[in-house]
Amino acid sequence: MSHDSHHAPVACKTELAPERSDLGLIRPDRTTGWTDWLTTVDHKKIGILYGAFAMFYFLVGGVEALAIRTQLIRPENDFVTARMYNQLFTMHGTTMIFLGVMPLSAAFFNFLVPLQIGARDVAFPRLNAFSLWTFVFGAFVLNASWFFEFAHLAGWLNSFDWHKALVYTDFAPANGWFSYAPLSGTFGQNGQALRFTGVGTDFWIIGIQVLGIASLAASFNFICTIINMRAKGMTMMRLPVFTWMTLITAILIILAFPAITVALIELMFDRAFGANFFNPSAGGQPVLWQHLFWIFGHPEVYILVLPAMGIVSEILPTFSGKALFGYPIIVFSGAVIGFLGFAVWSHHMFTTGLGPVPTAAFALLTMAIAVPTGVKIFNWLGTIWGGRVRFTPPMVLALGFIWMFMCGGFSGVMHSAAPADSQQQDSYFVIAHFHYVLLGGVLLGLMAGLYFWFPKIFGRMPNAPVAYIASGMVILGFNLAFGPMHYLGLAGMPRRTHTYQAGNGWENWNFIATIGAYILGAGVFIAFVNLFWTAFKGKKCASDPWGGRTLEWSLPSPVPEYNFAQAPIVATRDAYFEDRHGGKRIAYENDGGEAGVHMPSQSWMPLVASAGFLFAGFGMPMMAMGVPHAGWIVITGLGVLILGIWLWAVEGPGGYMLKTPAAAGSPAPVETAAH
Amino acid sequence: MFSRFFSRVGLLAAPFLALIMAGCSKAEMTVRQSTLDPKGPVAKMQYDVFMDTVWLVVVLFILVGGLLVYAVIKFRARPGDEDAPRIEEGHGNPLVEIGLITASIGALVIIAIPTLSAIWYTDDVPVESVPTSKLSAWYPRLEGAKENYAKVVEEQVLEIDVIGKQWWFRFEYPQLGLTNDAKRSVPNEFVIPKGKAVRINLRSEDVIHSFWIPKLAGKVDLMPGRKNHMWIQGDEVGHYYGQCAEFCGDSHAYMRFRVEVVEPAEFAKWVQKQKTDAGAVVASPKAEKGKALFAAKTCSMCHNISGHYGAGAFAPDLTHVASRKSLAGAWLDNRDPKAQLAKEQQTQNTESSVEVDKEVLRANLKKWIGSSGVATGADGKPTKDVKPGNRMHFYKMFNVAGLTETQQKFTADELDCLAEYLLTLK
Amino acid sequence: MSETADAHDAPTSTGIDHKKLIMWLFLASDCMFFGTLISTHLLYRKLYPSGFTDAEGHQRFIQNLFNIELTSFSTFILLMSSFLMALAVSAMHKGEIKSFRRNVLGVIFFGLIFLGCQVFEFTHFYHQGLTIQNSVLGSTFYVLTGTHGTHVAIGVLWLILMYFYSFTGKLRGHMGALDVEVAGLYWHFVDIVWIIIFTAVYLVEYLGPNGIWGTGLPAAIK
Repeated sequence: MSHDSHHAPVACKTELAPERSDLGLIRPDRTTGWTDWLTTVDHKKIGILYGAFAMFYFLVGGVEALAIRTQLIRPENDFVTARMYNQLFTMHGTTMIFLGVMPLSAAFFNFLVPLQIGARDVAFPRLNAFSLWTFVFGAFVLNASWFFEFAHLAGWLNSFDWHKALVYTDFAPANGWFSYAPLSGTFGQNGQALRFTGVGTDFWIIGIQVLGIASLAASFNFICTIINMRAKGMTMMRLPVFTWMTLITAILIILAFPAITVALIELMFDRAFGANFFNPSAGGQPVLWQHLFWIFGHPEVYILVLPAMGIVSEILPTFSGKALFGYPIIVFSGAVIGFLGFAVWSHHMFTTGLGPVPTAAFALLTMAIAVPTGVKIFNWLGTIWGGRVRFTPPMVLALGFIWMFMCGGFSGVMHSAAPADSQQQDSYFVIAHFHYVLLGGVLLGLMAGLYFWFPKIFGRMPNAPVAYIASGMVILGFNLAFGPMHYLGLAGMPRRTHTYQAGNGWENWNFIATIGAYILGAGVFIAFVNLFWTAFKGKKCASDPWGGRTLEWSLPSPVPEYNFAQAPIVATRDAYFEDRHGGKRIAYENDGGEAGVHMPSQSWMPLVASAGFLFAGFGMPMMAMGVPHAGWIVITGLGVLILGIWLWAVEGPGGYMLKTPAAAGSPAPVETAAH
Repeated sequence: MFSRFFSRVGLLAAPFLALIMAGCSKAEMTVRQSTLDPKGPVAKMQYDVFMDTVWLVVVLFILVGGLLVYAVIKFRARPGDEDAPRIEEGHGNPLVEIGLITASIGALVIIAIPTLSAIWYTDDVPVESVPTSKLSAWYPRLEGAKENYAKVVEEQVLEIDVIGKQWWFRFEYPQLGLTNDAKRSVPNEFVIPKGKAVRINLRSEDVIHSFWIPKLAGKVDLMPGRKNHMWIQGDEVGHYYGQCAEFCGDSHAYMRFRVEVVEPAEFAKWVQKQKTDAGAVVASPKAEKGKALFAAKTCSMCHNISGHYGAGAFAPDLTHVASRKSLAGAWLDNRDPKAQLAKEQQTQNTESSVEVDKEVLRANLKKWIGSSGVATGADGKPTKDVKPGNRMHFYKMFNVAGLTETQQKFTADELDCLAEYLLTLK
Repeated sequence: MSETADAHDAPTSTGIDHKKLIMWLFLASDCMFFGTLISTHLLYRKLYPSGFTDAEGHQRFIQNLFNIELTSFSTFILLMSSFLMALAVSAMHKGEIKSFRRNVLGVIFFGLIFLGCQVFEFTHFYHQGLTIQNSVLGSTFYVLTGTHGTHVAIGVLWLILMYFYSFTGKLRGHMGALDVEVAGLYWHFVDIVWIIIFTAVYLVEYLGPNGIWGTGLPAAIK
C-alpha cells in the first residue's frame, strides 16, 4: 500500500520532496509550527498536547472548585446563586474527571507506552490523533455551555424569546456529573417532554458522548499497541507496571464506556424525542439510569486511579534503588481490581432501596475489592523496605500518594458497611473520601509522574526547591481542605447544597476547608507554573537523571522522533537497569541502518473527521434551544465526520524512511548522571 | 533540608489528628444533624456499625501508616550510598503476600458480620417490634408471609407516607386519617410518638429526593416510580432536624424538614388538633382582608386551609401554619434565634426547642410570600428570592402551553394583611 | 480502508494483524453496547408485560403487531448475507477480485433488503399505534432495533465504499484481503447480534402457551 512511500532515507523530514497522498494532495510533512502540531501523528507530540490540554482544564476545574469553596466559606453566603453553584459543581466534577485526570493519564499513555515497550509508535498513529482532537472538541462543546450561560447572564441573548423554547434558561449543565434522571430527564406522558433542566443538560450529554468516543478510540489503540507491538523478548510479564496498568485501564474503558454511551443515548431520546426510558410518569424507571451510570461510573473510578498506581509503581523502585516488590502480585491485583470494579457499582446506590439481599451482596463485594487494593499498598511498602530512599520531588509526591490513597481507602472500607453508608451517602464524608482517593491519590500520582518524566519529555529538569514548596502546599492545603469534610459529613452536612444555616455547627470547619482549598489551589498553580517554565527554560539534564529502570531512560532526551534508532531486544524485566548494573540484557536489532526507519506520514484527516463532532456537538443543544435550522448544523457535522473518515481511508498511509544514528552502526549513546 | 522535612511523612497525619481531637468534644459530636449522636434504634445500629469500621481502620492505620513512616525514615538514602554495591534485587515473597492477603480478608470479616446483621435490621420494622407476628425473623417479607406481615404492620406500627416534591416534604398518616385527600396532610414538620416503631413509605412526585434525619436514621431515597420504605423510632423526646440528601435541583439546599418526638399522650393531642378546622377569623379587619386576599391572589388554588379554602391540594397545607416552627421547606425558622441558642446551651441539648415567636413568624411570612422579586422591599428593590425556582410565584416547571408564570404582585400593605391572616391559623 | 500498517511493517508480537485485533476489541466493546440495550428492553418487558396503550386508548399486545413471518424472512436474508460475506472474504484471500465484487454486491443487496424490511416494520408498527413516545415498550423497541439497523446501515455504507474502492486497483494483496476480512468480522458480528435480538425481542414473545412471558393473553385479544 505504500505507493508513494519515500524509500530513499532522509535525515529529517524537511528534506523530503513534497509528498502527495493517494488523493493527490500534498501531505503536511514538510511544515513545522502550527501545522506540525495540528497534523502530528507522533505519539510523543500527541502526549504533550494531551498533557497541555489536561493541565489547562485542571486549572479551569480548580477555579470552579475555588468558587464552590468561596461560596461555602460562611453560612448563607451569596457569592454565587443557587443555580450557578449547581452549575459549578456539575462542571467541576465533569471537568476534573473527563477533561483533567483522564486526558492527563492519556498523556502518559501516549508518551510512555511505546517507549516502555520498545516500539516506534502506537499501532494506529492517525487514530491516535483522531482521539486527541475528538477529546479537544468534546471539551470545547462541554465548556461552550459556560459561554452561553455568561452571555445569557450578561443579557446578550435576550433578543431571543427563550421562554417559547425552554423551561429554564440554564445553559451550563446543573444536573451533577451523575445526571440522575428524572432531574436530567423528562416528566409527563405521551411525549410531552416536560423537563426539569434546560439546555445545559443537552450540552452535557453530547459533550460526554463525544469524550467517550475519544476515550474508546484511544483505548482500542493502546490495547492493540501493548499486545502487538512489544519489542522482542518483552513478554507480558516483563512489561513495565505502568504499561500493565495502561492495558487494564484501556480494557476497563472499552468495557465500561458502552454502558454510559447507551444511557446517554436513551437520555437523549427521552429529552429530544419524548421517549420514556427514564420518565417515571410513563413507566420509565429512574433507577435504571443509576444502574447504567454506575456500571460505567464505578469502573471509571479505577480508570482514573490505575494509571496513577502504575506511575507510582515506576517511581518507588527507581528512588528506592530496588526492584518492585511482588511484581506479579501488583499486576494481578490490578487486574483483579479491574475485574471486581464491574461488580460493585450498586454500592453507589445503597440508599435507593435495593432491598437487603442486593445491598448485602454489594457490601461484601465492595469489601472484597479492598483486598487487592491493600495488596498494592503492602507491595509498595515492601518496595521501600530495605531500599535507599531518595527524596526527590517525584518520590515525595509518590509517598504522598500512598499516604493519601491509604486514607481514602480506609474511608472507602467504611462505606462498604452499608448501614454506616446510609448515614454517610451524599454527605461531605463522601466528598472527603473520594477527594482523598482522586485528589490526594490520583492528582499527587499524576504530579509525581509529571516531575518524574518531565526530564525525559523535554530534556530539562524542573526546579527542585519550587517543586518541594509546591508539593508541600498541595499536601498541606489538601489535608486542610478535605480532612475537615470527614467531620462535616458525620455532622450531617449534605453535599451539593449551595448554602447552609448557622447553628448546625458546620461554620468553623467549612471556613478551614475553604482556606485549605486556597492553599491547595496555590500549590497546584505553582507546580504547573514550575513545569511550564521547565518545558521552555529549565536546566538541561542528562538522559537518565534519576537512575531509571525501564526502556524510555535508554533514549536521549528529548526523545528523537523515531524513538529507537535500533529496535531493542530485552532479556529481562527492568532490562535497562539490569543492563547497566549487571550483565548485558539489551541487544539491538539490526534495523534502522542503511534503509532507515519507517515513519508514518502526517495527516489533516483525523482533525477534519473529529471537527465533525464539533459541529454535531454544537448543533444538538441548539436544536434543543429551538434555534431555527440547527438541525442542519448537526447534519453538516455528521457529513464532515463521514467525509473526514472517507478521505482518511483513501489518502493512504504514506510513510517515509528516516536515517538514524544507527546507520553509523552503533545504538544511540546514553548519557547517565551520577546520583 | 527539604529531604529531611519530607522524610517526616508522619507530619501528614497532623491535620488528621488535630481534626480527630477537635471533633471529639461533646458539643461537636452532638450538633443538630450529627450522625454520632443516635437517638433511636436505627441510627444506633448504624452508628455501631460505623464505630466498628472506625476501630478497624484506626488499627490498620496505625499498623500500615506506622510501618510506612518507619520504612521511609529507616531506609532513607545516606551519604556514601552512591558507592555502595547495588541492593540485591528481590521480586517479592509469596509467604508474606499470602499472609497479608489472609490478614486483610480476616479484618474485613470482622466488619462484614455486623454489616450484614445491620442491613436486615435497618431494612424494615423488626419482628421484635411486631410481637404478634409469627414470621421468619430472617426475612419477613418472603413469600407467603407478605400479606400477613402487611397486616401485622398495619396493626402494630405507625405508618407515615412521605411525599417528596421540589422542594418540600408532605407527610400523611393514613391510619389516622391525616391524608392529603382528607385535606389533613402535614407539610415539612411531622410528629411521632416516643418509643413507637414508625414505618415510613417514601414516594416522590417529581425528581429523586432523599429522606434523612441523621439522629434517627440514615437516608433512603424517594424514587419516583418506586415504592421505598424505611423505619425510624425516636427514643428521646425532642425537636429533630432532617434534610433532603439527594440533589434535586435549584433549591436542594433549602429542602429541609423537622420531626418532633413527643410523649404518646402528647401525640394523641396533636393528632386531634390536626383534625380540627381553622376557626372564624375574628382577630382584626386586617386579617379579614388577608383572608380575602388569599383567594384573590390565587393562593387558595394550591394551598388548602380546612374550614376556609378547600380547593388546594398541590401546595403545603396551611390549616395550622402558625403553629409550625419553620417555614418554606423548614428553611426559615420561626423561633427567636437568640432564645433558641440560649436554650440549647442551657440544656446542653440541640433537640430542645423554644416555642414559635410571633414576630419572627410574621417577618418570615412576609419575607417568604414576598420573595421571588414579586414584591418590592422597603428600599424599592425586589426582595431576595428565598427559594429560587420555587413554584409559589413562578409556575415555570413545564414548557407546556397554558402553564406559564402566575406572577402575583403584592404591595407592602397586602403582605401585612396576608401575614396577619396566616398568623391566626394556629 | 487502510490504516498505517504497511506491508513491510515488522510482524506483530502476537502474529495477529493490528487491524484484525482492533476490530475484535471494537466488537468486544460493541457486545457491552448491545448487551446494555438488550438488557434495558428485557428489564422493561419483564416489568410491564402487558404491552402498551395506543392513541385510541386501547390496550395492545405486541404480538398483534408482530409479523413474525416477515421478520423471520429478513432474519434469513441477513444470515444469507453473512454467507456471501464469507465468500467475499475467501475470494479476496485468493485474489479473485471479480468474485469478491459479485459477492460483496450480494451482501449489499441483502443488507438493503433487511433495512427495507425494518423500515416497513417501523412504519407498520407506527401506524398500528406503537410510537417511541407512548410507552416504554415503544422506546426500548425502536431504540434497540433502530441501533442495530444503524449498525447494518454503516456496514452497507462501508461495503459500498469498499466496492467502489476496489475499482481503483488499490484493494489488493495481503492488506486488501485484511481490509475485507475486517469488514467481514463487523458484518458477521452485526448478524449474530441480530440473532440475539430476534430471539430476545421477537421469539420470546411467543414462549409458553399464550406468549408474552407465559402470562397469557386475554381471550378477547387473540
